[in-house]
Amino acid sequence: MTGSILRRPSAPSRRALLKGAAASLVLAPMPLRLARAADGEVVYATWGGSWAEAMRKAWFEPFTQQTGIKVRTIDGPDYGKIRAMVRANNTEWDIAEVNPDFQWIGPREGLLEKLDFSVIPTDHLIKGENLLTDYSLPEAFWSRVIAYNTKKFPKDNHPKDFAEFWDTARFPGKRVMYSKANGGVIEAALLADGVPVDKLYPLDLDRALKKLDKLKDATLWYETNAQAVQYLQDEQGVLGLVADGRVKFIQEKGAPVEIEYQQSQLTWTSYVVIKGAPNRANAMKLLASMTSLEGQKAIGMAYTYGLVAPKAYDLLPPGRAEMLSNGPQQQGKTVLMNEKWWGENLEKAQEKLDAWRLS
Amino acid sequence: MRSADVTGAASGADGRTKRRRYADPDRRRLTRRGLLGLPALLFVGVFLLYPLALLIETSFQAKTGEWSLEQYARIATTPVYGLIVWKTAWIAGLVTLIDFLVGYPFAVALSRARGWWRLVLLAAILMPFWTNLLVRAYGWIVILHPNGLVNMLLIRLGLISEPIELVQNTTGVLIGMVQIMLPYMVLPIAAQIGKMDRRLLNAARSLGASAPRTFLHVYFPLTLPGVFAGALVTLVLSLGFFVIPALLGGRRDVLIAQLIDFNLTKVLNWEFAAALGTLLLVATMGLFLAAQRWFRLESLWTEAR
Repeated sequence: MTGSILRRPSAPSRRALLKGAAASLVLAPMPLRLARAADGEVVYATWGGSWAEAMRKAWFEPFTQQTGIKVRTIDGPDYGKIRAMVRANNTEWDIAEVNPDFQWIGPREGLLEKLDFSVIPTDHLIKGENLLTDYSLPEAFWSRVIAYNTKKFPKDNHPKDFAEFWDTARFPGKRVMYSKANGGVIEAALLADGVPVDKLYPLDLDRALKKLDKLKDATLWYETNAQAVQYLQDEQGVLGLVADGRVKFIQEKGAPVEIEYQQSQLTWTSYVVIKGAPNRANAMKLLASMTSLEGQKAIGMAYTYGLVAPKAYDLLPPGRAEMLSNGPQQQGKTVLMNEKWWGENLEKAQEKLDAWRLS
Repeated sequence: MRSADVTGAASGADGRTKRRRYADPDRRRLTRRGLLGLPALLFVGVFLLYPLALLIETSFQAKTGEWSLEQYARIATTPVYGLIVWKTAWIAGLVTLIDFLVGYPFAVALSRARGWWRLVLLAAILMPFWTNLLVRAYGWIVILHPNGLVNMLLIRLGLISEPIELVQNTTGVLIGMVQIMLPYMVLPIAAQIGKMDRRLLNAARSLGASAPRTFLHVYFPLTLPGVFAGALVTLVLSLGFFVIPALLGGRRDVLIAQLIDFNLTKVLNWEFAAALGTLLLVATMGLFLAAQRWFRLESLWTEAR
């Protein structure tokens, strides 16, 4: 009698449970797939975080209101993932925001769709070498700047360019720099060595590495932006070559850092459309909307990246333009990075830099 | 043939019946126990072995897709890659050694602890284990940097006058990796100690052996399979480690995992990344086979004698 209460569940009911589990596993993805086919949408791969929230407010919501097309974001536009998707003929993303080297790496690997310029006007966009290609549109400008510790180096006695950045006698302490070859360190070294801006490219790697020897023991190498600003905040590093947006962020939090804009390294991020994108036409419409003057004004109010349409700066309220990258405060002081050279030479340059690091 | 031990199976209640079924060595393979393993084997085959085969195939391709040894030639002939491989192996080995020296006493203490104290020791090992790796890495930066906790404490205590460099160098990498790999060393050793037959220790003592001698000749050898299992896991994981060297390391801390990531996701040189990955795989397999052959690793998952 008691045995029947304590007996383990009979085999058939356990089997039924397993059958149900297997069936639900098979059927589970199906509702998602049906939903995707029904709505008009664009899938946008982004680096996420507060930037993605700003985009949503400034670009995606107005776009959905105007056209009815929804914008779905995915975190993490990994180049490796893009290649895997295209190779498997299963592209799940439409637009990805990428670093400009991908403007050349992407087409070389056959991973991108040509942009539809009949839908996307480009005359009002900023003119510059390599900014616009058949496969990419500039998304936003940002720059790497010299950030200095205000406690150690007051405003009137801080490094004003890379030659002074390299001067460890006058400005002792650790410098913070990015470990990737295209993180500005090569250009900085060459500029510090006196190479004129118009003779910078093609980059003389050997000369740059020789110059870097002077900072060999005085550099903290970072892998992520968060690490870079952590060092500046903790005052482990007193000078740094860091993304301007990040420095402004910790400034607001009270970190004792200030920016020197002279010789700031101007670069940008781009939009690309991935080969085989499921919503190609919608993606082109979204691109046109984001790069329009209204779109650029909106993002200028929501975030501090530089705009890609110069006239949009005039639409901003007074004072706002100075807070953006490549704004009036930076005009005439920037060095535009040659991302095409990097798209073609990143691998070789990184190999040399790694070898130098281990030496 | 009476080889009741080969399959490691305990004999059933009706020993005689079971023994007859298992007597034929060929039929043994087709027993239910073998079939039970089939789904797992299929899963591993499809989701592990097939992709691995593709990886190895990719490593033997040139950028154009044709069969070539150039990826391996590049690794062999470009000095920087040899340096990186050597550096990776060196750090992984050092981490394993330090983890053994720190982890063994900890495992002994853990196995002898009772009640409340045992919980504390377990928590000390497991709770960091469950914390996100990036959080721990940044945490170490905060603790170790020149104005951080450790340096401040040492200066207050008067042991040093200037902050010492504990992070952004190999020291930082070692400290971070040792702490993170510690559970992988401690837990297998503690498990092996748990399986030890205590009577053997008593027997040794009663036969006149002193405590140190008992430890050296009875206790320690019995824990060796656990030690080697822990060392193997620690070594293998350390070889592929990425986050800690990237965040805590200095100029010279360039390890193989960072290289693979760069080639895979930044420059899309998958053929080269595959070659590096295959190299790592072969090294790992080599270590595992060595452990299997010389250190009786399988005694870790069979019952104690």
